[in-house]
Amino acid sequence: MTSRIVAVLNQKGGVGKTTTTVNLAHALARMGKKITVIDFDPQSHLAVALGVVSKQQTGIDEIMLGHATFTQQQIPVRENLNLIVAGPRLQEIEQLRESGSHRGDLLRKALAPGTDDRDLIFIDCPPSSGILVANALFAAEELLVPMTSDYLALQGLSHLMGTIKKFEAVLNKKYRLQIVMSRYIPTRRLSKDVVSTLKKYFPQQILATPVRETAALAECPSFGKTVFEYRPGWRSAKDFEALAGDFLAGRMM
Amino acid sequence: MAEQEENSMIGYDPLAWMHEAEEEESPTRSAPLSAALPDDSAIFDDDMADAGVETEPGAALNAADLQPSADAETTGRIILEPLQNIQTVSQLHQQLRCMLDSCNKIDIDASAVSQIDTATLQLLLVLKLTAVKLRKEVNIDFPSEKFMEAADLLGVSEMLSVDQAVSGFF
Ligand SMILES: Nc1ncnc2c1ncn2[C@@H]1O[C@H](COP(=O)(O)OP(=O)(O)OP(=O)(O)O)[C@@H](O)[C@H]1O
Ligand SMILES: [Mg+2]
Repeated sequence: MTSRIVAVLNQKGGVGKTTTTVNLAHALARMGKKITVIDFDPQSHLAVALGVVSKQQTGIDEIMLGHATFTQQQIPVRENLNLIVAGPRLQEIEQLRESGSHRGDLLRKALAPGTDDRDLIFIDCPPSSGILVANALFAAEELLVPMTSDYLALQGLSHLMGTIKKFEAVLNKKYRLQIVMSRYIPTRRLSKDVVSTLKKYFPQQILATPVRETAALAECPSFGKTVFEYRPGWRSAKDFEALAGDFLAGRMM
Repeated sequence: MAEQEENSMIGYDPLAWMHEAEEEESPTRSAPLSAALPDDSAIFDDDMADAGVETEPGAALNAADLQPSADAETTGRIILEPLQNIQTVSQLHQQLRCMLDSCNKIDIDASAVSQIDTATLQLLLVLKLTAVKLRKEVNIDFPSEKFMEAADLLGVSEMLSVDQAVSGFF
């Protein structure tokens, strides 16, 4: 079995990358899938959202630097759900400046061995488009792009698509790209217009269930809980359950 | 094309280029040098191969798994040599002029550049500005650290829209 490696990315900040990673991953784990999530942001929000706060804990940083293995660095955080934290040296990697070396390839190499028993690996990317995101683009076969439904998000997506196409050209691969509508406000007319614009360019690539903006989702990271623990059965838990179903079945808008 | 229907809440559509990019199906043009240099085009052909005019964008990258791209069909591509200076600039000028005549889009791979002088940067800048006037597109892809440094020093990195997102990774 080989695992699907999915980069959750959007260089725009605060669009819901971490929220999507945490809750989609937990939803899938609850369905019995074996999931590993990688906190690929030196801000470590993913770990915090899952209730892991140790600053000393090493993680993906040491794997990329060749000092640890994927298997060693996984922390079981929920049933079927493992976490690899960012680690204190991820920041350093982002600032690596030795020209000539293949700095873009560190994560891909780090993930090459030992990932086979996982169904899915999610990489929660930072809100930038620097070397870490390049590493994620090298390593992943699939991209999951959380999108808010406002105008500037479309602008940001245009930029992101330019970057993705360049990587596709150079790496000679074609990503499977899926968009998830996040922080969705159904009562706003602009939301619908953004979605219909997106549908034009991404037919059969927008996951069927939009995740709505709710207070519960904004609150749960501070308790280190996923929405299934913080507000089981509530609207947002149902959104993510449905989203996980869409993700597995390939159900699109 | 970029405008939406009248009652939409979205004015200018920033994604419109995605469809436009698909529509333009012009075949690959590597620079047709005979037109520019009718006299000794054969000699120039050889030089051109050295200078790295390529239809394979992956050629200058040394990772073994980097392959030519699928969209090599639609655009002119040029790969900058490690050393770009006053000796090479006029040749580069020729190549770019020909490409600009024959292609709608030029991708310049700057990943291998280890030294670049102001003359070359100015040339690229003029190219970029000319392309805008002709409503053509010029992209400088994967600029190396040295390229970025030089462009920053001259204060032209923004005008060259050197894409931070894909700079310095190779
Ligand atoms: N559907 C939602 N409803 C309400 N709040 C949300 C929702 N999704 C995300 N948020 C909140 O919005 C903020 C940003 O979300 P999140 O951290 O998931 O985005 P991000 O893209 O990972 O951000 P960054 O770019 O900083 O990594 C957080 O405070 C989060 O709790
Ligand atoms: Mg985040």
